[in-house]
Amino acid sequence: MSFTHLHVSTAFSAHYGVSWPEELAQAAADDGASALACTDRDGLYGTIKHLKACMAAGLDPIVGVDLAVLDDDGDRRTDVAGRVVVLAKGHNNGVGYRALCRLISDAHSRTSGKAGGTVPVAVTRAELASRTLDPQTLKPVLVVLIGPDSDVGRAMGGRRYLRPRTLFKQWLDTMPTGTVVAEIVSQLSAPGSPLSTAHAVRMLRLAEEHRVPAVLTNAVRYCGADGAPTADVLDSARTLKSLPELAGEPLLQPTGQGWLKTSGHMRRLAQEIISAAGYGAADLTQLLAQTEALADACRIDPTSDMGWKQPVVPEASIIGIDQDPAMELVQRCHAGIARRFPGITGTAEQAMLTRLEHELRIIRNLNFSSYFLTVAEVSRMIQDMGVRAAARGSGASSLVNYLIDVSQVNPLQHDLIFERFLSQDRATLPDIDIDVESAERHNVYRKIFERFGAERVTLMSMQNGYRARGAVRDAGLALGMDGDEVGEIAKQLWRFSAGKFREALQEKPELRDFAGRVEQRDTDGNQQLDLLVDLTERLDRLPRHISMHPCGVILGDATLLDRTPVQPSGLGLPMSQFDKHDMDPMGMLKLDVLGVRMQSAMAFAVREIIRIHPSKGDVVAAGHHAPGPEGAGPDYIAANGRIDLNAVPLDDEATFELIRSTHTLGCFQIESPGQRELIGKMAPREFNDLIIDISLFRPGPMKSDMVRPFLEHRHGFAPEVYPHPDLKPVLAETHGVTVFHEQILKTFDVMTHCGLARADEFRRALGNENREPAVEEFFRKAARAEGYAPEVVDKVWGTLKAFGSFGFCKAHGAAFAVPTYQSAWLKTHHPEAFLAGLWEHDPGMYPKRLLVAEARRLGIPILPLDINRSKDEYRVERILSGADSGKLGIRLSLKGIYGLTATELKRIVAGQPFDSLADLRSRSRISKPSIKRLAQLGAFDSLHREAGGTANRADLVQHLQQLQVSGSRKGTDVLEGQLSFPLGDIELRNVKPGLPQPTLVETVRAELDLMAVDVSTHLMDSHRPVLERLGVTTADKLLGLRNGTEVLVAGVRVATQTPPMRGGRRVVFISIDDGTGCIDSVFFHEAQESAGPLLFGTRMLLIRGTTRRTGPRGISLSASMAWDLSRPETLPFPASETPFQDVAHPLDGIARSLAITGFNG
Amino acid sequence: MGMFSESVDVACTPDGLPRSLVWSGRTYDICAEPLRWYERRQWWAEESRVPLGSGPGMVDHEIWRVQVLPRMSPGRPSGMESQPIEPLTLDLTRHNRSGKWRLLRIHDALRPRTA
Repeated sequence: MSFTHLHVSTAFSAHYGVSWPEELAQAAADDGASALACTDRDGLYGTIKHLKACMAAGLDPIVGVDLAVLDDDGDRRTDVAGRVVVLAKGHNNGVGYRALCRLISDAHSRTSGKAGGTVPVAVTRAELASRTLDPQTLKPVLVVLIGPDSDVGRAMGGRRYLRPRTLFKQWLDTMPTGTVVAEIVSQLSAPGSPLSTAHAVRMLRLAEEHRVPAVLTNAVRYCGADGAPTADVLDSARTLKSLPELAGEPLLQPTGQGWLKTSGHMRRLAQEIISAAGYGAADLTQLLAQTEALADACRIDPTSDMGWKQPVVPEASIIGIDQDPAMELVQRCHAGIARRFPGITGTAEQAMLTRLEHELRIIRNLNFSSYFLTVAEVSRMIQDMGVRAAARGSGASSLVNYLIDVSQVNPLQHDLIFERFLSQDRATLPDIDIDVESAERHNVYRKIFERFGAERVTLMSMQNGYRARGAVRDAGLALGMDGDEVGEIAKQLWRFSAGKFREALQEKPELRDFAGRVEQRDTDGNQQLDLLVDLTERLDRLPRHISMHPCGVILGDATLLDRTPVQPSGLGLPMSQFDKHDMDPMGMLKLDVLGVRMQSAMAFAVREIIRIHPSKGDVVAAGHHAPGPEGAGPDYIAANGRIDLNAVPLDDEATFELIRSTHTLGCFQIESPGQRELIGKMAPREFNDLIIDISLFRPGPMKSDMVRPFLEHRHGFAPEVYPHPDLKPVLAETHGVTVFHEQILKTFDVMTHCGLARADEFRRALGNENREPAVEEFFRKAARAEGYAPEVVDKVWGTLKAFGSFGFCKAHGAAFAVPTYQSAWLKTHHPEAFLAGLWEHDPGMYPKRLLVAEARRLGIPILPLDINRSKDEYRVERILSGADSGKLGIRLSLKGIYGLTATELKRIVAGQPFDSLADLRSRSRISKPSIKRLAQLGAFDSLHREAGGTANRADLVQHLQQLQVSGSRKGTDVLEGQLSFPLGDIELRNVKPGLPQPTLVETVRAELDLMAVDVSTHLMDSHRPVLERLGVTTADKLLGLRNGTEVLVAGVRVATQTPPMRGGRRVVFISIDDGTGCIDSVFFHEAQESAGPLLFGTRMLLIRGTTRRTGPRGISLSASMAWDLSRPETLPFPASETPFQDVAHPLDGIARSLAITGFNG
Repeated sequence: MGMFSESVDVACTPDGLPRSLVWSGRTYDICAEPLRWYERRQWWAEESRVPLGSGPGMVDHEIWRVQVLPRMSPGRPSGMESQPIEPLTLDLTRHNRSGKWRLLRIHDALRPRTA
């Protein structure tokens, strides 16, 4: 007889369960089980994966939850009285599952959704009782298992026989009949301790006494006994206590027996319990039979109970239509033609209409019209909010999306294929992604909730699993290791999975020291490091917690919350417990509303342009725009100066010139070192080149060496080769190299006439071990039947096989290329406003200080912090005097100054201008440390000058410092208004002079310390004399050098990347900034060996390498050696030089790394 | 109660229950149904490696509490039978991976006995 496990935590019980649903289902099936439960803690986090795994293993799924119950007698907000398992009954058209979802949402409804909340995830017994019956029929739909972790079970200890009985009785009194069973568990711990057979016996007797069915479970936490140590480590991570501490309390699992025991084991276990209870064979049979009976009642039909794979979209009435959605969609598309294709006629019109009819037919057949209307509604709503929005992803392949204003890309122009997005053969809801301004994303979410109603909307969640750094930290915590020591080790772990830690120790040069220490365990007897490596590997990928997905919003009808449990997100809005992998199985419509900082930066730039140039004429003059049709400037600039970015033609030569110069810092998608190199090689001339560029710069193409042949053909170094002339139209735009998914589809279609829909199914099967062979067989046979020669078929199949699985969807590329072009356009024509937008919204991969350096390189003045001129955002400002008079500069923002609170910032901006320090103090009420910091940053310099004081900034800081010390007692604050005499200027005028002016180094240090930006001068400047002695070449001189010249370069780290490369060998890109520009260096294997720990551990680097010319305007460095500039004694000075004497540098004593170097190494 | 860790040889029934054991050269028979449970190990202090796939027995070890009587050798004088021998209660553990048995505890105080 088989045994059904009714209490099983999967790995999705964060910091508790160890095994994945697939492992558990497979093990249960191998043991002959016909059903398996998933009862994760606090939610249905693993349930959908469990369903999938059960269906694959031929099991009936059982779903439930392991939930805490609040103590009726304690503080009902915080006191938990144990945990119970709640199972949903099945085959009741989902009423059981619905009750379970609602119950779990109840349990989370009082929590804050923020880390460290004090309210536990738990239900009251009354809530539990009220959910157990179907409100319609009043039949039990949930079953509560009272087991060893319930208040009853926890009271079993000692000799208190009455207490458990009283508690059990309370359960029976509050819960409706037929909803309670006793859960008998023995994990064979020492007699009389929790999870012992003795306790199981007492629970069994209690059930007997009250005539409540008893079921046997094993409260499973891991699939096999091997998982037990992992469970210990998870207990440590959950409780934040080391294993020795936990063992002392004792809070660890009493034994390692909580595994998915076989039916044989479970039967023997039952025998042991029954015989210890003094019961007989009939009782044994009954216990096992009751277990199976409950299992049978709880078997879930994925389709009828949980709506498996049945798409649900909002009701038509909600999206404001009263007719057939399919008709509505047709009408809206036709209404869009005039707007999107003004004046289209003849064959072009015919082609467009044919395409439209084709798309509409597929949409109608799939019954997805409502889906498109819903997305259109959201899209319209966002645009009505005045927020920039752009569709991205394969949705850009659809003409329907273009016509109903969901997408900004014309699929006909770029030859995009609808079937890549949606086809008759794909019954899953397609993904439409909408990029919005990041700063507006939360407002957009709230608006969606408002628009569709809170019962139809929830945010999607995502699972955050252990990666190497987190795993090593928690493994170290478990072992009771010193936190700093573990932190040091964690720092060196960089981009590899925790599961490959031991392998990485062999391979990675930066781990060499650590690997050596692990090896040494034999000599000094320290085994901890070896254990640390094993435990780290054990934690690999295990879920740690869920969080709000960065963009997913789930839209449904009024039953949505019957189909997913929700819990508060950090944002306050409810979040589903399901992640993106659960959407399609659960038929959930997910909309990706992604906040894109670049969209915010561009929106900001457009607003700054109007603010500074409030008319069309001003904007045209400032941006050197073309005079346009009537000489008054182009149409995309409105009379008030507003630029309609989406209407800017995609062929501006000046923009492409900027892109080709590779000075693309700040431009969307093309600012990374690798992209700048590719752009330099490729020299894009038109928009389609940008699409190709973005599509090529992907792991797949980079890995499989598609880039080199493409560039060779493009520049005519090698003749283009086509496997067959028929494929020339398909591959011509990429010079014979297969880059796009669309080309794969067309290749299949051209050579086999399989149709594009099937072609996309074939494409999806590529790279899939199980499905690919059938595709190959079909392709070879069909292509041969079409008369293609065997060698052509061979060659083409080779290409499809190699590139198919990781080519790029051209529609994605096209959608991405739009903001790429727009950002480059803004940088070309309005660099001040664009940079201000970048500083404000920080969209890129680099630390902000590099963009400041970029402004310096472009000759854009950076205007210092000023208490009266700086705002809470970066501002473009016309300079009225001095050497830069007439130019536009960028005024630093008061936001982001270390220690200045948001409230202080608000008061300062509201109170501007201030005529004195006293005025500032009294009206903005900012703290003394904040005033001092502002003084250090020079925010009072102009006020000080106006007051006519003779002291300098150092004197002022000292003056404020003394005030701070003398007046730090609370209650000495002046009364409101007391100091509002115009005396403050006297204070500034009377600051005693005497101290030397702060040096430039000190000023820059303060800027770096408080703003993470070096404003007054580049932080490398103080190193200049040393660098000259070393013979260092600056970035601006590199381009003039011959290919292969050996040079020394130096700078501050601005980017560190390890992109996947051909052949699988790791390549490390490190970019440094030396004040004249950015130098991109690449460390291949040997250079990594020689640089060792310096690779990831230093902020300022001296690098030796040889120049590599990457294109007409691009040059990079192949590194051979690196040094840490902050350790001058190690630098390679020429032997004849006098010993080195160190001087002060801005970074001395500054601990911040991430904000300055963009890397937390 | 004394604490020991001494190697013993244990013979088991086909079900895996201990039947008899040899301790210090003497054979004992188990005279009551044994009691079994598991006890935790401080594996983080006792092990140097816990890679995935280490198998069972890392976190706990199996304890058997058995009551035993010394086996009468056939050549023994028969006069002894009139004086009943009290069973000894022993805690045994089986090392999970090697399968070797050790004697952990003796619950009855050792009394010198005349043979």
